[in-house]
Formats: sequence, C-alpha cells, structure tokens
Amino acid sequence: MPKNYTDKSRRNDRIAEAIIRVGGILVIVSVVWILVMISKVSLPLFFPASATVAAATTAAAAGAARPVAVGADEEQRGAFVFDEKGTCRFLNAKTGAVAAVIPVPGIPAGASIIFAENVGKSSYNLLWNNGVVTPTTVTFTSAQDAGGTVSFTHELSVNEKLLFPPSPGAVQSFVRSLGEKGAVRVDRLEQNKLRITTQTIEKDFLGNEKRGSNHSDITDPLPGQLTAVTVDSKGHFLYAGTSNGMLLRWDISEPGQVRLLDSVETSTGHMAITALSLILGDISVAVGDASGGLSTWFPVKMPGSSEDKQLTRIHELHSAGAPVSLMLPSSRDKTIFSLAASAINADHMTSERNLLSLKSGVPVTLASLSPKGNTLCTLDSNNKVSLWRLDIPHPEISFGTLFGKVWYEGYDKPEYAWQSSSASDDYEPKLSLTPLLFGTLKATFCAMIFAIPLALLGALYTSQFMAPKLKGRIKPVVEIMAAIPSVVIGFLAGLWLAPLVDSSVLTIFLSFVIVPLMLLVTIFFWKRIKHASLLQRITRGREFFAMIPVVMIGIYLAFLLSGIAELQLFAGDFKQWLFSTLGVRYDQRNSIIIAIALGFAVIPIIFTIAEDAISNVPRNLTAASLALGASRWQTAWRVVLPSALPGVFSAIMIGFGRAIGETMIVLMATGNTPIMSWSLFNGLRSLSANIAVEIPEAPFNSSLYRVLFLSAVLLFIFTFVINTVAEALRQRFRKKYGRY
Amino acid sequence: MKLFWKTGEPYVLATGAALAIILVMSLALVGVVMTNGLGYFWPRSLVKYVLTDGTAALGQVTQEENNPLTGKKRLQLKVANRDLLGQDFRWIDEKDITSRSLPTDALLLERREHGNFFGFLTGVTAEGVSLTAATPFGQLQQALRVVSERMKATTTIKQQMSDLNNRAERYRLKLLKLEFKGAEKNSTAIAGLTSEREKVLADFARLNDQATTTLAEITRITAQFTDVSGTAKEISLAEIVALQQPNSMSPLAKCAAYLERVRELLLDDPRESNTEGGLFPAIFGTVMMVLLMSLFSLPFGVVAAIYLREYARDGLVTRMVRIAVNNLAGVPSIVYGVFGLGFFVYGIGGSLDSLFFAERLPTPTFGTGGILWSSLTLALLTVPVIIVATEESLASIPKGIREGSLALGATKFQTLMKILLPMATPGIMTGLILSMARAAGEVAPLMIVGVVKLAPTLPFDTNFPFFHMDRKFMHLGFHIYDVGFQSPNVEAAKPMVYVTTMLLLAIVIIASSTAIYLRNRMRSRYTTSTF
Repeated sequence: MPKNYTDKSRRNDRIAEAIIRVGGILVIVSVVWILVMISKVSLPLFFPASATVAAATTAAAAGAARPVAVGADEEQRGAFVFDEKGTCRFLNAKTGAVAAVIPVPGIPAGASIIFAENVGKSSYNLLWNNGVVTPTTVTFTSAQDAGGTVSFTHELSVNEKLLFPPSPGAVQSFVRSLGEKGAVRVDRLEQNKLRITTQTIEKDFLGNEKRGSNHSDITDPLPGQLTAVTVDSKGHFLYAGTSNGMLLRWDISEPGQVRLLDSVETSTGHMAITALSLILGDISVAVGDASGGLSTWFPVKMPGSSEDKQLTRIHELHSAGAPVSLMLPSSRDKTIFSLAASAINADHMTSERNLLSLKSGVPVTLASLSPKGNTLCTLDSNNKVSLWRLDIPHPEISFGTLFGKVWYEGYDKPEYAWQSSSASDDYEPKLSLTPLLFGTLKATFCAMIFAIPLALLGALYTSQFMAPKLKGRIKPVVEIMAAIPSVVIGFLAGLWLAPLVDSSVLTIFLSFVIVPLMLLVTIFFWKRIKHASLLQRITRGREFFAMIPVVMIGIYLAFLLSGIAELQLFAGDFKQWLFSTLGVRYDQRNSIIIAIALGFAVIPIIFTIAEDAISNVPRNLTAASLALGASRWQTAWRVVLPSALPGVFSAIMIGFGRAIGETMIVLMATGNTPIMSWSLFNGLRSLSANIAVEIPEAPFNSSLYRVLFLSAVLLFIFTFVINTVAEALRQRFRKKYGRY
Repeated sequence: MKLFWKTGEPYVLATGAALAIILVMSLALVGVVMTNGLGYFWPRSLVKYVLTDGTAALGQVTQEENNPLTGKKRLQLKVANRDLLGQDFRWIDEKDITSRSLPTDALLLERREHGNFFGFLTGVTAEGVSLTAATPFGQLQQALRVVSERMKATTTIKQQMSDLNNRAERYRLKLLKLEFKGAEKNSTAIAGLTSEREKVLADFARLNDQATTTLAEITRITAQFTDVSGTAKEISLAEIVALQQPNSMSPLAKCAAYLERVRELLLDDPRESNTEGGLFPAIFGTVMMVLLMSLFSLPFGVVAAIYLREYARDGLVTRMVRIAVNNLAGVPSIVYGVFGLGFFVYGIGGSLDSLFFAERLPTPTFGTGGILWSSLTLALLTVPVIIVATEESLASIPKGIREGSLALGATKFQTLMKILLPMATPGIMTGLILSMARAAGEVAPLMIVGVVKLAPTLPFDTNFPFFHMDRKFMHLGFHIYDVGFQSPNVEAAKPMVYVTTMLLLAIVIIASSTAIYLRNRMRSRYTTSTF
C-alpha cells in the first residue's frame, strides 16, 4: 500500500473525528439550549423594577412664587412647574435652563392658585382663590437631534367645555367631563361641606342643544372632619375620607341627586385618611392613612343582601410608615405611587408587589407621572426637581398572581382565574396558571385512568399469551396506531365522538358494567372447552378474536339499555336530570371525551413500551415457572410481571408525560374553558392548549407572552423530569437482564 | 370450575378483552374516517320528496335518525341552494312525506360560490355561440365546453398578470432598498426603476382590462334553472365548476365522476374558504415542509448518533446525554413551537430583518412565521427520533464486524463509512421515515410558527429565487383543525374534513408501516434467537 494513501486516510480519519465530535456536541448542546432559551424569555417576569434619577435641577430661585404642580416629558429631558401665580415654567432638566415661561391662558386678575389636581395625561385642574377652576392641558414633548441638542415643543390649552361659574369658598375642586352629556364639578368647601354642580347638555333629534345646570349640596351628616376627597374619572362617584378613618362613597351620576352609598370604617384605630385616589379603571379606590397604611377598596356584593354592594378592603399594600400625603395612579396599569414624607413607594394593586421604594433625603412636596408612566417627576422642599426614569417590567406578575387566589376587580371573592385580555385598556388581566394546571392534570388523569388498564392488560396478553406468529402482526398494528396524528384523533373526538356521546351519555357508563358482564358470560361458556381438545388448541393464543364481537355486542347492548334506562330512571333526558337534580351542567365537549381521545392517543405508547419490557424478561424464568407446573396466567402474573415492573412503570410514566403535553386533542375535544370543576361533564383548558390558543394574539414581550413562555417552561420541566425518571428506571431494568 | 379459576384462564380472557377493546377502537377510528371520507365523492342520487303540506324538497339523504324530541324517524337532507334557502341542510320527519321519487333530469351543479345547486334546467342563453344540440342539457354541455375554452384563454392572461405583478413587486422592494440607503445618492437608479415599474404597472392595467372584458363576455353566457319549488335561478356558466345528473348516471359514469373528483382533490386549489375544491396547496406545503425538515434533521441527527455511539467515551456524561436526548422526544411539541417562535421567528428572523431587509420594516420578512422556521422547528422536534434510531441500529451491529474492519487496518472513519453506515442504513431510514410521519401529522407547533389557513402563493414557484423560505404555507393537519373547528359552516365542511383526514391518515399509516417493516427486517438480520 503506498504510504501517502495511509497518511491520507489517517488524516481524513482525524478530520472526520474532529468534525463528528464538534457536530455531535453541538447538536447535544443546542438541544439542551432550548430550555435555556425559553426560560430566558420568561425570566424578565420576575425582574425587579428599577428607578434612577435621569436629571435633576432647581425649579426656581428661593422666594419665587410657590410651585403648585409639576410634570415632565416622556424622555426625562424636560420638566415644567406651575407656580401659584399661574405661570408655567418649562425647564431643560439637564441644564436647568428655562425653555419658556407661559402664563395659563385667561388667568383671573390678581388671583392665585390654591389647589391643582392632576387628572392624568398631563391635564391639570387649577383652582384659583376666587373659586374659578381652569382645566389646563400641557403638551410637552422633546426631541434630540444628531448633535445632542435638545429642543422642546410646549403648549398650554384650556378646555372650554369644562369651565364652570366660580364657586367662592372652594378649598378643593374636581372637574370631570361627562362626555357628550356635559360636565360635573365637585367642590370641597370650607366648614366640612361638599357641593356638586352638574352642567348638562341635552340634544334633541334636530341637534339643538339644551344646557342646564344643577346644584346640590351634600346634606348627610358627615361622620367626621373631611380629610381627603376624590371623584372618579367618569364623574359618577364621589369618595371622601374623614379624620376618624371613615370612607364615604356617594353616587352623583344623576344631576341634582346625591345618594350616600357607603360609609365604612377603614381601620380599627380610627386612623385619619390622608389621601384617596382611584386606580386606573375607576373600580378600585386606594386609601392612604395617617399611619402610612395603604389599601385598595371596591364595592362587593355582600352575602345575604340582595343588591347593594359595599366597599370592601381588597388589597393591603406596603405600609410606608409615615402619613401618605399624595397618591398617583398610573395611567397604564393598576400601579399606584404614594408619597409619604421623603419616600415614594410604587405598589401594584393586583399583585400587591411593592415595586419601588425610593428615598430622597428631603421631604417631597409634589410629584407627577408622565402619561406613558415611565417618568416620575418630583419636587422636594429644597425646590429641586428630579426626573426619575422608571423601569417596571411586569408589575402585575408575582408568584401570588400566577399560582394563588387573587381578588380581582368585580369578583365576589378571591379566585383563581385566567382571562388574559379584554376589549378595554383599563382591564385587570387575570393570569393565574392554576386553572390551567388543574385542567392539564384533570385531562391527564382522566386519560390515564382510561388508558392504563387497557394498555397494560393488552400488552400482557400480547407478550405472554398470544400465538407468536400473530404477535408479529398485532404489534405493528398498535405501533402504527401510535403514529396516528393527534389532529386526527382530536377531530374525531370533537366532531364525531362528542355528538355521539352527547346523544346517549349513559351508554358510556353502562358499557363499564355491561362489557365486564358480557365477559363473565363468555368465561362461563369458555370453561366448557375441553382441556387439550382441538378447539382449545385452535383458540389458544387467539382468544382475543373471540373477545372482539363480545366487546362490540356489549357496547351495543349498553346503547340499547341506555335508552331504556334514560326513559325509566331519568324521565327521558339524562342531561336535564343531571342539571335539575345535581345542578351539573353538561358540556358537549367534556372530560369523558378527553379521557377517551387522549387515552386512545397514549394507549399505543404505554402498550409498546410495556410490551417490550414484559417480553424482555428472560425466557428461562418463564420456562422454569411453566416447568414447575404453573399455569400460563400464574407464570405471567407472579413471575413475569413482577420482574418487568420497573419497565411497566416507566411505560406508564412516559405515557403520562405524553398526555400532559398533548395539545391538539385537548384543544379540539374540550371547550377550552379555564374553569376548575371536578365534574366529568365539564370541559377544561390545559396549559398546552392555552399556549396554542393565546400565543398568536400575544404581543411580543408582553406579560402574556412571557407567561405563556413560562407555561412552556413548566411543561418542559414536567415532562423532562417524568421522562428522565422513566428512562433511568428502564435503563436499570435493561441492565438487570443484560439486554440492550 | 374451581381449577378453571385457579389456573387463571378467566384473567387471560380479560387481558384478551383489553386488547380487543384497543383493536375495536382503532378499527372504529379508521372505519369512521374511511366511510365518511370515501363516500363523499360518490355521486349520490337526488331524491325528491313531496311533503304533506304540498311543498317539495330535493336533496341527498345524508343521515337518518330518531327525532330526539318526538322519537319518530327523520331524515337529514342536503338541499344545497344556499343562496336561495339560506341553509345547506334540513331535517324532514318521515311522517310528513307523501311521496318519494328520483327525477332523472335533476341536476347537481358545483359552483364557485354559494355551494352546490340542486334543480332542473330550463334553458341556455348564449349570445354568439351556436348551440346545435337538441336537448337543453346537451346545449348546456356544449356551452360549458365553449366557456371552459374561453376561461383557459383568461388563465393565460392571468398568468401573465401575476408575472407582471411579481416584477412590479420586485421593483418596489428594490426601490425601497435604494431609498433606505439614501434617496439622493441613488436618485438616477431610483428614477430608472420607477419608470420601469410604471411601465410594468401600465402593462398590468392593460391586461387587467382585457381580462375583465373577456370575463364579462363569458359571464354573459348563462343558463336558467328552477329549483324544486319552482323558483327560477339564472346562473352564469363561468360560475359552474362541474355538473352532474346523478339520477341518470350509469355506475360506470359514476366511477368516472368519482375519479374526476379525486383528481380535483389532489391537484386543485381549495374553494369557498377551504370547504370545497382541492387540497393541492396543503399537500404541497406538507410535503415541502417535511422534505425541508429532513434536510436539516437527517445530517445532524446521524452525526450526533455516530458521535454518541462511536466516538464518545461511555461514561456518566454520555449516559446522561443519551437519557436527555431520549427524553427530548417526549417533550411536548407545543414547547418546540414556543421555542421556534421565540428563537427562530423573533430572534433570528428579527435580526435577519433588521440586517438585510431593514427597508421593508415594519412589515416583517423573516420576522414572522414561515416555511423555513416551521421546518427548522420540526427538525428540532424530530432530531431525537433520528438519533435514537441511528444509535440503535449502530448498536445492533455485532462488535465482531467493527473489530474485523479495524484489524484489517482500516481507520475508524473508513470503518464507519464503508462498513457501519451501510449496515445501519435501514435503521436510519426507519428513523427518517418515522420522523417524517410525525412531522406530517404535527400541527400544534406549526400553528405558532408559520402555517396559515389559506396561502395565496406556494412556497415554491417559477419566480426568482424559486424557493421562498419566508412564505407561509398550508398544511394538511392544520387544514383539518381549521376547516373542522374554525369555519363558519362546520356542518357543510365536515365531508371535506373527513377527506383530508383520510388523506393524512393514509400518508402517515403508509409511511410508518414502511418504517416498521424496514426495522423488523433489519432486526431479524442481526439478532440471533437465544431460546
């Protein structure tokens, strides 16, 4: 052989070895990498929020007019400050340079601002000391060119539609638009009084406007000195808190009529309510008290009472330890920022997470949030304006909201709920994985109860009793069954089996009785076959052929009997009986369908692996047992099965893992309702089907998107652990009998 | 008797019954799919029922059952004529029927819109076409032949139009790219391209006009029909896909019609939001996706298996890796779909878009589901299948063969290439076929990474660059889910779903039987009986 040939082949060998090693390792690494990748997407759900001071500057020289409101742009580049003289100064937050000074249009002469309310989206209601309210909107944006020069656009505008006649003696005023119908103004007057003024616009069918005005004073005796007042953004409800800790709620939606709805004690120690604010969506009201306690309340239907809802404490948020002076609801989600002395806390209502706790050395007097909620602007007692850049990735997600019971807005009690989206933006997303986990496990257990006995007994028969020639034919049939696409099984379950079962539910239950009965009858006849007769020789190893008609006749008999039973026992309609007597609703696509369909899908898997395991028990064990005079059943049950137990167990686990992750069958054969009901007649929603249903609609990197990835991680880990245990068992079993 | 129980023969029967139940269930599944799927194309008679209230109904009997309310027998009739009656199906109580007949001149029309039409022909209006046949039915057939010839002419125009459209689109994308790179720098090129594009667009508009006028001419050829209650209906012949007189067809003619429908199923495009017509795009999409997937999964799977079995030292790590790979086959497919979405579509696809197709953003090119990402996702899903199969077949080759080759002086690589791989080929093929069968039937991950209910274009066509990896595609399995569960008229769509199911089932069963056959043959080649 020429030397260069061997050299060449040796070189080739080395190269090939390197390539194969690298390739092989790469494949294996990439496969493990899947878990890392999907976890990486879901991890930001649990990242903490952060806030940094992006810019800070002095608002105005000492001795200038007192500031009454602050605000900032979205980019943390500029801030604006309203002072009590009614001028708005726009500042470059980095340099402190004044970009513009604009007076509020139409300032009442000589008046000064005594109260300013930020009504979200950079709108301020400015109350002057002569009783006039100016609803002012600030438009303030910044742009940065390539050279780094920052330029601002700014504008002040007054919403003429919300102008009211002056109301002298007002300490605080709240103005709300009623849309096309007019506007409402609520004044907190001196001497503990409240006045509601409604301006109504009625349009007749010709388009002529008729304007009207209504006054009404709250005459109810108040339980204490008013300390905090707020009105919801639609102008329907008025909330007030008192010095002795009472929370009051009035319905002011009817012009000229005021109705006291609630008067509840917020704390046992009669702690004064110092701040009130409505959380986005106008359902929950946040209450801050003098001890720093922060809680949210919304009306809940009381048990026993017919209609009236009563304000109830829902969420207890992080306590600041000092009187809460101001609360800022986010206009993006259910987060609330609260000011207590020198600290600012951000809490999310649903998850009850304390997102941020910002400390500044000096007491903070004013604060506001930018409309998109990513900038917090504060003004401290040293007249310093600070702009905080907020990064709050997924405030609504916590361990509690993902797995625990949560009291959602509008619910009567804390519940596990999954409802990811709704038509409105101010909706509280319900992302509890518990109903989905429940659904997954329910479907899996139903299917396993159906599949395990059939698959294991079938496997035992095939491997121990069946004629070997026949076994070579039957086993491939079951293996091909394993290849049937799940979409086919799901389709038949949903569109063929479900209506069939729907029309005769009892057949299923009766089959469980009739088929074994038929089996007993067959056994009775079977034992008459003479030992060692020709007939026995023919039937031995082929018994199951005889069983096929027995099973079919059994099911048919069950079908016939179910009609009679339904007429005799359930007045002709089982489903109606179920509903009226047991109060159980019957869904057409229910857990029975899932048990059969999903069971059908996992039977071949359990069957094949279990059959392999049973067949791998060395033949000398069987031979010894038979030689000692044991019957074939005794051998199979007492000798073979115990030896094969680890393999059989691993077969069950692998089937279990397959059932947990099955998507299409569960998607098609259940109604996909995320409910937690133990009833066999109800549908369910599993983790996997949930991913398939929701992920096409989930915005990239939203909380929903990440939660769905999290459920994929859960599924991955579930199945991986189950399969690993099963595989380890199987390998040990193989080792025991020394066969690969 | 006692002995009989003691020896456990009854229990043997019980285990036999379990197996019997499994087999009955499988048979039922295949049986249901076959009876519903195969029967769909057979031209069924149009039965005319005269009812006690004097009205008549013409339709195909689809099922008989007992009325759940009264317990009396009733028939479900497919009466079609959705545009006249509003519904395709109606129930008729048997006691309401006074007479039943099979009118020989009853016609079944398959239309492009509104489903089928069942009725009777009254006349044909065809300007400028001389109809020589004596009977109206003969005239109708003659006119239909003329119409189909003219339609063929319009299809060539349509083909030209689609080519022009593609060219215009290419120009548009080029223009976008140039503008993105800097409109001033490339102003001459932009002006040139714009004028080219306008020329193409003008051609397109001209052809479009031509096609419209031709079509308008064709639609003027109509035929008049009446339904069973006498309501007149004029239908343009261009609307008619096929027509039959099922009551007067001979069995042979019915067979021919059946075969024609099978041909249509395999080779035509779907109609009426997938509930009628053919499955060609779905079959094509499935096949192309599966082939593309094998292209990725086969080499990687085989290399990984060779590494594990022949090169890696058999230590704890290798054992753990082997367990991990085995288990990946059991990880739910939807998890792979989620991974494909996060990693391939948004990760790699998103970066590709911002690197190479930045000018088209925010319209994604690769940053959305497509056939490439789908096949990569499924390749990941099926790699473990191939690894396991290859490893098993390598392991089953007796050690002596390996040692013999090495003893003769062959290098490890030579042994691998010349001895081991050829011997393991049937096993590898088994793995490949099994993985293809699995990929063909897998739907859940595809729903996330690129399957659509109706793709306007195939992922492979005659336009440059021929393979359009970014395109979305149709898939048989998804077709079943979509038509069966998401279509507005599930009852009318059911037969089509059964046919699709049958097709998919046939593909998968044939593929996996082949794989199992191969595997069993290979097994018996190397294993020696021990007992």
